[in-house]
Amino acid sequence: MDSEPAGGGVDGDDRGDAEGGGDGTDAPVAVELDGVTKRYGETAAVDDVSLRVREGEFFTLVGPSGCGKTTTLRLIAGFEEPTTGAVRFGGESVAGVPPEDRDVGVVFQSYALFPHMTVGENVAYGLNFADPPEGTTRDERVAELLELVDLPDAADRDPESLSGGQQQRIAMARALAPGPDVLLLDEPMSALDARLRERLRAQVKRIQSELGITTIYVTHDQEEALAVSDRVAVMNDGTPEQVAPPRTVYREPATRFVAKFVGDNNTFAGRVVDATADGELAVDVDGGDETLRVAVGSDEEGQDATATRSPDVGDRIDFCVRPEHLRVASADEVADETAVPAGENTLRATVASAEFLGETTRVTLDWGDRELLVRAVDPLDGAVTVGFDPADAHVIEVEKQ
Amino acid sequence: MTEADGDRAGRVSRLREGVESRALTALAVLTSAALVVAFYYPTATVLVEAVVVDGAVTLGVFAELLTDPFYFGEIARLFAGDSPIAVARALLSPDRRLGIVGFTAYQAVLSTVASVALGLPAAYLLARFEFPGRKTLRSLTIVPFVLPSIMVAVGFVATFGENGTLNAALTGIGLPLVDLMFTLEAVVIAHAFYNAPLVARVTTAAWESVDASAVETARSLGAGPVRAFVDVVAPQVYPAVLTGAALTFVFTFGTFPIVLALGGFQLATIEVFVYRLVRDLSYAEAAALAVVELAISLGVLLAYLRYEARNATSTRGARPLPRRSLVPSAPTLRELLPRAGLVAYVVVAGVVFLAPIASMVLASVTGGDGALTLDHYRFLIDRQQTGAAFQVRPWPAIRNSLAFATAATLLALPMGVVVAVLTTRRYRGRTLVDAAAMAPLAVSGIIVGLGLLRGLVFGVEIAGWRIAASGAVAIVVAHAVAGYPFVVRTVSPGLSGLDRSLVESARALGASRARVIRDVELPLVWPAVVAGAAFAFAVSIGEFTSTVVLATGADAYTMPVAIERFIGRRLGPATAMGVVLLVVTGLSFVVIERLGGEHRGL
Repeated sequence: MDSEPAGGGVDGDDRGDAEGGGDGTDAPVAVELDGVTKRYGETAAVDDVSLRVREGEFFTLVGPSGCGKTTTLRLIAGFEEPTTGAVRFGGESVAGVPPEDRDVGVVFQSYALFPHMTVGENVAYGLNFADPPEGTTRDERVAELLELVDLPDAADRDPESLSGGQQQRIAMARALAPGPDVLLLDEPMSALDARLRERLRAQVKRIQSELGITTIYVTHDQEEALAVSDRVAVMNDGTPEQVAPPRTVYREPATRFVAKFVGDNNTFAGRVVDATADGELAVDVDGGDETLRVAVGSDEEGQDATATRSPDVGDRIDFCVRPEHLRVASADEVADETAVPAGENTLRATVASAEFLGETTRVTLDWGDRELLVRAVDPLDGAVTVGFDPADAHVIEVEKQ
Repeated sequence: MTEADGDRAGRVSRLREGVESRALTALAVLTSAALVVAFYYPTATVLVEAVVVDGAVTLGVFAELLTDPFYFGEIARLFAGDSPIAVARALLSPDRRLGIVGFTAYQAVLSTVASVALGLPAAYLLARFEFPGRKTLRSLTIVPFVLPSIMVAVGFVATFGENGTLNAALTGIGLPLVDLMFTLEAVVIAHAFYNAPLVARVTTAAWESVDASAVETARSLGAGPVRAFVDVVAPQVYPAVLTGAALTFVFTFGTFPIVLALGGFQLATIEVFVYRLVRDLSYAEAAALAVVELAISLGVLLAYLRYEARNATSTRGARPLPRRSLVPSAPTLRELLPRAGLVAYVVVAGVVFLAPIASMVLASVTGGDGALTLDHYRFLIDRQQTGAAFQVRPWPAIRNSLAFATAATLLALPMGVVVAVLTTRRYRGRTLVDAAAMAPLAVSGIIVGLGLLRGLVFGVEIAGWRIAASGAVAIVVAHAVAGYPFVVRTVSPGLSGLDRSLVESARALGASRARVIRDVELPLVWPAVVAGAAFAFAVSIGEFTSTVVLATGADAYTMPVAIERFIGRRLGPATAMGVVLLVVTGLSFVVIERLGGEHRGL
């Protein structure tokens, strides 16, 4: 099998870096992982990972539990040493450097505030080992940090008297107090409720851009990852499947896994039966007798890598269409053939179930033996017609024949 | 700050870090060295005696031991080559011979059964009922651990002896006298006194950690209360009962002071016989016998640990089962029956647990004519003033006990904390370190005492230097070795229960490993450290086995040794001395209770 990531994947990103583009910045590399593998016995928790995080970047590792994202973070922090490969800070290997000498700030999911110290003592703890910035005293530095996280009066309080969200902010202040080069956040919000999470992530983002500190953030929540990051690494089975800005990850997923993991999606597999000169493919979709048209090389960024490896007739391809790009109408509405514009793909399906989400309804359709996800505003029932613009389809992987 | 300043600060901090990171290593090395000097080397010298006779390695001593019916009873015939069927038939016959080893195992099994029988109802009461004083009662279950065994023995003599309180009570209600002294029953009851609270303690902890929602799920699925207990509660409690039983077996298998005082040589267990062989200077036979004892104890422990590892469950109840009131809510059979059972149990438990202590106190203030008197205490004072040099005087005993216990605690505390730190971190070979550090719990105190006596006290020649320590130093060392596993056992759970990210946060903030221990870990487990110290102190105060070996001839005798010497002649002064010992150990228990367990950091 000759399957390759189609675009915006790890390979593509590395190529971008070499050209000085890719992540859209020329800032120097702050943290680099070079072929890093971490094995526990037989299983590799992190498998040959190469990543570069630039100075001042908000970089997020996102993936399902067990994908190796936390282990990657712990390798950077120095709590674990790689089995093979190198971790570099500012170009220098940190192999064997203990965590206390790496100039990193870490915030854990449990916050890990020292329960036998006051909030102020917690924030000041790192200043035992690093001087506060010039012209600042220890106490001023603590006050400054508490101000930064909007808890100016908390210094004398007992950590356990604070709410979860407040504890999270103190943990953040404590990690930042010694002025670390890199801030590492390990699922810092997963113990909080959804509303609070949204508010806090905005605050974390604000603090990060105010300080301009290189930040590596670990989360299993893809929505959170898209909301705060400059770039996202989507991890699966110990390897990043795609490293790209949030928009690219959402619009041009590099692999089937990324397409499924980030947001709702409809993925299709099939065989190219025809290719026109203007880059439109006709694809016989597996599991049915429909032929769908898919436009190649017309993605928004205008740099769809699939175009460079243009699928030929006979190749197998995977492609996806976001639910919001599927137009759906009840079957009788389309009888006059005006509801679906000319040139669009048309599918016939029936409503299987619907979840009312407030602003929209997420509807699951039965399409032959397969399922389709669509968004609808009005309630739907029975037989429906689904249409989509070939340009809204994104080719994920091409398998050359 | 200029660059040069930064460089200098960096160098200073690196120097400090270097010292700090080596501090942990240095402490670990010192602890290992102390263990080698105080435990492994002395033990090894004794055990070598078992296989080296006149400079040649031989298993002859073992062969003789294994085939001697005096030690192995009918089983010895098996080792001697008799057919297993004949041996089995002999074992089933009424006039079977068990031998010393067989008897030791037999009384250990009986003691284990008695301890479980007496411990389970207590666990039921403590885990399932709410009543005033429940928490106090729960923490009182730790008392037997810190009570000196020789004092318990005195209490049992005062209760069950010819002129004991039991016979006084029986006479009072016109029943014939019983003589339980020097019988197996007395030994088994005394062992239950010690170990039933242990069974109750571990079982209560397991019972309390059963999640109420698991039981409620079973009930909602159609199981009745009994069925839910059998299917959900029992499987979670049963491993704890097994833990208690396994530990009880091992403890009672190696029993010494209780049997020595209550059984005498006619009911000798292995340990008592090892002591006797040592006194007769038959070191090779003593060592071989001790090896056999060690092998059996370790075998049981190992079998149990393997079982535990295979069946380990780490579920911790989010919500414990609700406790019921001791006062029945309705006069129904289901409400009344368990409570009536508990009342009967409390009467039995009162006799077993309270009577010995009460009898001892009573006997210490009762004269031969039954009238209240302070004569026995006066005797202690007189003996102190007029006693001859060879006689045991009370004040040196009290002074020695306190001094040894203080010194042993100061030694055991850092050792225990270092071992706890080393064994709570995960790395390859950790189990080995754990086992090596915990070995003193499994080896007979007689062997450790003998090894120290013949090595450290009589002197060792190392590279032309003759190194010899006084009996007092050897006793302190032996007590520290006996006590530090308790420091480890109280500190370790606290350390391993700490959120790992607390340590990692401190590391990321710039603290070295040793600094994290000082700043974060020790302050958070401080109560456990203090409790560990109190344990070590109490263990030292009550230690009898190795002390009696090391105090021979020397004037380094302690309170338990003094009691043992009094008990053979007159009970009165022994009970008075016992009360003094009770007060001292009671105080260390108060320290444990105040600072240990449920209380939080300072």
